[in-house]
Amino acid sequence: MSYSFDFSVIWDNFGVLLAGAWLTLRLSLLAVAFGLILGITGSLFRTSGNRLLNGIALAYVEIIRNTPYLIQLFFIFFGLPALGLKLSAEQAAIVSLAINFGAYSTEIVRAGVESIPKGQVEAGLAIGFKRLDVFRYIVIPPALANIYSSLVGQVILAVLFTSVVSQIAAEDLTYAGNYLDSRTFRSFEIYFTLALLYLAIVWIVKAIAYLIEVRCFEFAKYRQ
Amino acid sequence: MDGFTLSRIFLNLLIATKWTLILSVIAFIGGGLIGALIALMRISSNKIVSRISWIYVEFFQGTPLLLQLFLAFFGFSVITGVNLSPLVAASIALTAYTSAFLGDIWRGAIQAVPRGQWQAASAIGFGYFDQLKLIVLPQAVRLAIAPTVGFLVQVIKGTSLASIIGFTELSRAASLINNVTLQSLLIFGLAGLIYFALCYPLSAWSQQLEKKLAYK
Amino acid sequence: MVSEVLDLFWAAFWRRQRFVALFMASFFLTVGIAACSGEPNSVGSKAQITPEDVAKLPIQATLAQIQESGQVKVAVPSDFPPFGFVNPRMQPIGYDIDMAKEIAKGLGAELEIIPVVGGYRIPFLQTDRVDMIISSLGKNDERDLIIDFSEPYAPFFSAIYGGPNAEVSQIEDLEGRSIGVAQGSLEDLEISELTKTVGSVDIKRYANNSLTASALVSGQVDAIATGNVVAAKLIQDNPTKEITSKFVLKDSPCYVGVREGDAEFVAKINEIIASVKQSGRLNEMSQAWFGEPLPEAIANT
Repeated sequence: MSYSFDFSVIWDNFGVLLAGAWLTLRLSLLAVAFGLILGITGSLFRTSGNRLLNGIALAYVEIIRNTPYLIQLFFIFFGLPALGLKLSAEQAAIVSLAINFGAYSTEIVRAGVESIPKGQVEAGLAIGFKRLDVFRYIVIPPALANIYSSLVGQVILAVLFTSVVSQIAAEDLTYAGNYLDSRTFRSFEIYFTLALLYLAIVWIVKAIAYLIEVRCFEFAKYRQ
Repeated sequence: MDGFTLSRIFLNLLIATKWTLILSVIAFIGGGLIGALIALMRISSNKIVSRISWIYVEFFQGTPLLLQLFLAFFGFSVITGVNLSPLVAASIALTAYTSAFLGDIWRGAIQAVPRGQWQAASAIGFGYFDQLKLIVLPQAVRLAIAPTVGFLVQVIKGTSLASIIGFTELSRAASLINNVTLQSLLIFGLAGLIYFALCYPLSAWSQQLEKKLAYK
Repeated sequence: MVSEVLDLFWAAFWRRQRFVALFMASFFLTVGIAACSGEPNSVGSKAQITPEDVAKLPIQATLAQIQESGQVKVAVPSDFPPFGFVNPRMQPIGYDIDMAKEIAKGLGAELEIIPVVGGYRIPFLQTDRVDMIISSLGKNDERDLIIDFSEPYAPFFSAIYGGPNAEVSQIEDLEGRSIGVAQGSLEDLEISELTKTVGSVDIKRYANNSLTASALVSGQVDAIATGNVVAAKLIQDNPTKEITSKFVLKDSPCYVGVREGDAEFVAKINEIIASVKQSGRLNEMSQAWFGEPLPEAIANT
């Protein structure tokens, strides 16, 4: 059976696809922003030495990392209304993506903070830095440099995970593609184009990450 | 709905979990075999072979798994006129996905073995494949085990997306039951629990391996 | 926390790490904009699809194919009670599944049930994964371009429902009565429109279907306007209240969907549907799954 390729549905509806891509980007951005806050808080809990806080953060991390994102999304979108918390599709998407990203970034940030030798902190205090300044000038910059690539990798995963929210009718790029496919059956053209669009988004994210790395983490090159 | 008691729900979910495991094993074994090939291609000195492998990995790491499933299920049938069942389509997509990631992990492990090992082996007179088999791979395996076990967790989680193209594994069973009883908290909570029971032991083992096998 | 961030920001700016400062500014600005811009961006309303866009997949002469292979594949709903859902043994059950069994019997073929999610019904038909759709499929112009419909076989309508003391048989009878409806639903639009000419109808709008249903059961309203699917559950859960449908507001019945142009197949299916109606079997099914008999509009076609 020969199949004639016809990309006209793509050209005619490129705006729709872009609108979906825009939501994908917005969801990713908000998820990363809130997720990072969760992650930093989580890593503070984990390194605090307080057993209760550590336990809470550990439970959070392990539960999220060992269950599929789809289940987390459904739990939040379908399950929470029973507790009185009814979220729209977009809100549920952001919340679940942020919680997911937060769990992974907790571990990443924690690894970064723990990778700084205690000697650095002691030296800083000895010179006369205040505790907060030690954290800000001595601990954070190299810690960030160490974990930067892991963090970027996780951001990319978050962007790719947004495709799942199409299942609760949040109108992201995958949803737009599904919609067009269910009406024109040009499955290959549509999903191939979606693949290219996602690749483009991922490469743009990587490029921005690289620029930031070059500008901010130059000093990391000179460390042993 | 009557008839859907707690034990009934749990039983149904467990029965569906069988398919989750089957799909995971298929993807992991198939993905492992192809992944090994991808890794070897990537370290090849032949630029074209290396490039192809690179493109393959970039594609599967840069697109959502859900999209890959759609391509296998819908895209394939529209082009070739052959309709793949959800199981076959999911197997193909997950196998390819796994092979790309495992290939990348293993490539990383091989490249982490110091160049000196290759040179020393070559100096002794080993050919390329002997260098690989007898000297480099044994050392690379040590580095690769922990991330590989860790990725198995990702594969099991990935099977949940197969539910979207109609493959009846744990997540789909949970959705179906949810639509009848609407006890979402309970049902998705139970499903999450089962996934956790499957994945946590592997995650813990992976972390243990990481500590044991890391070079100090 | 905010003051710390501003501190960092200011420090970065003054230490000539302007790029970092700019990045932080644009990051939070974008987050702010992203958070605020929530205009409804409906894909459905913006998509432009012309008939030429639709992939023309070859038609199999389905009737002949089925008779030859002795098997018929039918798409049914997987998640829409009471049309199609699962029983505690995870087997598909429902009105549409029963209908599929009847049609398979009429065709003399073995039935293979394929539960699908709503959005994939038509794609499955088009790509030959199923031979027909029996899945609470409604007819509209957009779909008519791509597939063919049989005669209606299942009720899907909005009506006024009430207990024995709500004696209303037409819109005018609603005068002076209280009617419950789910806010913003199809029934809400319908009833608001239709009662414009009738005086003093007290329309009470509830947040959702469940609340509307409980309002009727607890006697807060004389009658409610809702879809027959919601009513089915309501009737089943409250057998003592003797709730019945008083009159139909808007009818959008369900049809069997087949590939476009397969005229022979549609004719055969219509034949089977007609005989099932005549034998009373369809009424039986309607009673079993919806708790009420088949509405006249369908029974008489």
